[in-house]
Amino acid sequence: MFTYYLRLAFKSIKRTPILSALMISAIALGIGACMTTISVNYMMSADPIPHKSDQLYYVRVDSWDPYNAFDDPNIPPNQLTWTDATNLTLAGKAFRQSAMARSGGVLEPDNPDIKPFQAGIRLAYNDFFDMFDVPFLYGNPWTDEADINPELVVVLTEQLNERLFGGENSVGRTIKMRSNDLTVIGITKTWEPVPRFYDITTGPFNDVSDMFMPYRLKQELELPNWGNNNCWKPSEGSGFMSRLLSECINNQMWVELPNEQARQDYMDFLDSYVNEQKALGRFPRPLNNKLTDVMDWMKHENVVPDDAEIMLWLSFLFLLVCLLNTIGLLMAKFATKSSEIGLRRAVGASKQALFIQHLVEAGLIGFAGGILGLGLSLLGLEGVESLFGDFISKVAHMDATLVAMAFGLAVLSSVAAGLYPTWKACNIAPASQLKSQ
Amino acid sequence: MLTMKDIKKVFRTDLVETHALRDFSLEVNEGEFVAVTGPSGSGKTTFLNIAGLLETFTSGSYVLDGMDVSNLNDKQRSKIRNEKIGFIFQSFNLIPDLDLFDNVDVPLRYRGFNSAERKKRIEESLEMVGLASRMKHLPAQLSGGQQQRVAIARALAGEPRFLLADEPTGNLDTKMAHSVMDLLHEINANGTTIVMVTHDMHLAKQAGRNIFVRDGRVSELHDVSQSEATDAISA
Amino acid sequence: MNLEIGPIFRAMMRNKVGAMLIMLQIAVTMTIIANGFSIIQERKALMARDSGVDIANSFHLSNVSFAEDFDMQTAVIDDLKAIRELPGVADAIQVNAIPLSGSGWSMGLQTEAGDDIDGSGTAVYMVDDHALSAYDVKLIAGRNFELTDLRWRTDNTNDWADVLIATEALTKSLFPDLTPQEVIGKTVFINNHEPIIIIGIIDKLQAPWSGWNNLDHVMLTPDRLAFRGNRYYIRAEEGVRDDVMKRVEETLSNRLSGRMIQGMESMEETQRESYTGASGMIKMLTLIMIVLTIITAMGIVGLASFSVNRRKKQIGTRRALGAAKNSIIRYFMIENLIISGAGVIVGAILTVGLNMILVQAFSLTPIAWYYVPIGMISLLVIGQIAVFGPAQKASSIPPALATRSA
Repeated sequence: MFTYYLRLAFKSIKRTPILSALMISAIALGIGACMTTISVNYMMSADPIPHKSDQLYYVRVDSWDPYNAFDDPNIPPNQLTWTDATNLTLAGKAFRQSAMARSGGVLEPDNPDIKPFQAGIRLAYNDFFDMFDVPFLYGNPWTDEADINPELVVVLTEQLNERLFGGENSVGRTIKMRSNDLTVIGITKTWEPVPRFYDITTGPFNDVSDMFMPYRLKQELELPNWGNNNCWKPSEGSGFMSRLLSECINNQMWVELPNEQARQDYMDFLDSYVNEQKALGRFPRPLNNKLTDVMDWMKHENVVPDDAEIMLWLSFLFLLVCLLNTIGLLMAKFATKSSEIGLRRAVGASKQALFIQHLVEAGLIGFAGGILGLGLSLLGLEGVESLFGDFISKVAHMDATLVAMAFGLAVLSSVAAGLYPTWKACNIAPASQLKSQ
Repeated sequence: MLTMKDIKKVFRTDLVETHALRDFSLEVNEGEFVAVTGPSGSGKTTFLNIAGLLETFTSGSYVLDGMDVSNLNDKQRSKIRNEKIGFIFQSFNLIPDLDLFDNVDVPLRYRGFNSAERKKRIEESLEMVGLASRMKHLPAQLSGGQQQRVAIARALAGEPRFLLADEPTGNLDTKMAHSVMDLLHEINANGTTIVMVTHDMHLAKQAGRNIFVRDGRVSELHDVSQSEATDAISA
Repeated sequence: MNLEIGPIFRAMMRNKVGAMLIMLQIAVTMTIIANGFSIIQERKALMARDSGVDIANSFHLSNVSFAEDFDMQTAVIDDLKAIRELPGVADAIQVNAIPLSGSGWSMGLQTEAGDDIDGSGTAVYMVDDHALSAYDVKLIAGRNFELTDLRWRTDNTNDWADVLIATEALTKSLFPDLTPQEVIGKTVFINNHEPIIIIGIIDKLQAPWSGWNNLDHVMLTPDRLAFRGNRYYIRAEEGVRDDVMKRVEETLSNRLSGRMIQGMESMEETQRESYTGASGMIKMLTLIMIVLTIITAMGIVGLASFSVNRRKKQIGTRRALGAAKNSIIRYFMIENLIISGAGVIVGAILTVGLNMILVQAFSLTPIAWYYVPIGMISLLVIGQIAVFGPAQKASSIPPALATRSA
């Protein structure tokens, strides 16, 4: 019976090609616009590390100016000082923990064909790799020992390894940075969490740094501050060390806390740490420590830009217009079929059968609109990427869920659009249409 | 009232030329009630359309109420239809979405009467056909006979000199047909010229004069038996 | 002229759902279009803000040393000399940050010394005495830097120069009641306690962050930079920028080893990138508005055509009863006007409603009142244009159709 309905629907659609084309394109455009913005929003608000995002916490302590909160209303700073990041990490009170910071330097490859170039560095403790499940192509993270007594070691990303060593296993080889020879001890496999949750302050959709180095090397090699550096009071004295030890914030810290108890304990630890520091004359503000898990941190930092959300809502309204359009056209279409419906009723088709028959037709139009809309949304995403540039390229695509969602949305909305016209059309008395007027 | 001389109407398609009317001549005097009969395809409807200025003709001349209407443009013809001719159609042609009041109002609107004038005329004409109490009803709520009476009220509201009726009882049962015919006679008695096109000889006989159309011409001679035979065929 | 509004309206009420659908469609379309237009205007206004600098003819690049023994001080002096001598160069400076580039340095200035005094945030550009000429900004009070004001700033410098030049916007926020002339010579405090004297005021210059509230707050300090990395900001003479960019790149790349010249970019490009989000939003909204208008217009055409087809007999009858072609056209135009009229009234309410939500949730600029009537009129016009075709088709239905039996 279903195939019979399908055949009827096909015939009916072909009978009024312009009207059908209008309906299909209206649905396609509505779905296209909606799926484009849904995709962008969905990707932007995706969980970058789903299996443990509720166990990873961003650490904040309020080391800011006694007279002014870092941000209203009484929000603690979004980064840590070098001193606190180091102290908290070395205390080792969490299951895993790592202070981190961004830096950079000019690499001078041995290969004379490759000109010196600037590379971005993520400084971190070796827990970074385990905590975030960073996959390795070759080699391993550095040792715990290297975290304490920093060795000149480096972990390269696959891309940087490609650039420097043509992609071969370069573990054990060295690269020169500021006349220091750094020894490669590991190569990470491509790892691009979207959003790049661990450092939102430098842009949630930017690339992972080119290479990783032990955090303490910042002090050892006097590496510069990259990313955002905020100060509420000037450093005391001059020189690199005084800047490093100032109250300026340029560091992030994540901890892995497997359960609620661990979280509680860590909170207590943070409070006691800050109280200790208060005794030393730091932390002039009241206790205001925060542990924020991945998804809450994304929300707090407004990872999904307002514009993306505005476009999302506008595109829903757009779809609504397209649906209103389709309902109107479908009503027009079914009205032309009233005599056929009357006839079918007269020869014994039940109301229900006719209802299903026409709903199948509406669904078929929705399906066609969905396929076309899917194409349009892929096109739309291309467009979004070309309009907004690199910033958005990581989120401007669709996964299987989104494709399924597109079809679901198309069929659902066209069936919803088809319900009223179908009901109306089928509510015709069997005889009324047999008599010519 | 109506003088047609040598009217010729040719429908052309790429392949065929059909002569719907050939050298059709007819004179209807003021106050007459004329029935035009003829078998299907005889040219009755073409005559009706031309007489009602619904269609143009190929050659010949047509003078209506002292005015040569042979070569008028669409706008002028619309104006004459509106002012001088009242139409009664076989299937009533009431507008289903409008109530009786608004239906009768349709031609008056185009006439440009003010609203008080229109209201007076609508009420009077509906009164005349005995449906004043149902002014706010929709056509679908009425019987066929009542609908045709509304159509007659609509035709009369503009006080036309000339009423053109196309099978006015064709969709009605005998009883209703009678009442409609009575109404037409009453209207005719008040001085309105009526031309009625029908294939029903019994109906035709009730008119003052009968014209028989065959092959696009007025057939001067006809006897009842012949037309009854035709009637039987076309029915 | 008789407009038949009453009967048209009453007839329409017999087919409420159809009329309602178009009405709603028009209302929502107007809501999107009016709000979209408002957002577009908001973004355009952002993008149209005066940068103060000569966007069309300027460019910048960065200069990063990697050799440990690289002498940055000599390099900067010689580089600038070489660049300034190149034909087509109007002027050039070394600087720590570039307007609208997205990265830079900000500080707080306050009019009294003290830890608990609120200050005004400002971007800091460390420049030499050529800055005003390189930026092509106007000095509206006081004086430019002189060679004697300049000092070298190294990685270990912790204090600030004695003098600064500020934008008018910055001085207005520090001294709201003083004229520019009166501000000259005033002392302000940086890092809560360190005094600096304002010696000059310039009309306009933008900070590196286009989204910052204090975009027009900029202070210039007389610092030559001996950091590992710095930037050069160069203004070319009218119309020769691209040639000059090539020449500067060649000159610098060949001059010294142990450093990299990279990231050369025109200010046009910098400004464009800075507003990628805004311009992308404008384009997307424009596209949505156009497509939406087409869909709504097509919807009106489709439904009107359908309704003409359905009412063929009725139209023929009207023609027979004396309606001229114009009357038929007018009938459909008025019918559409009534529906669109209701649509834009509902649309006006929805527009304001949606705008209130957007303003609340995303702190957009509230819609200017006149977008509402403009939106209403536009949609009425669109409706009339859309319905004209079907209306004309209706008017060509022959009156003789009335006598044709169904």
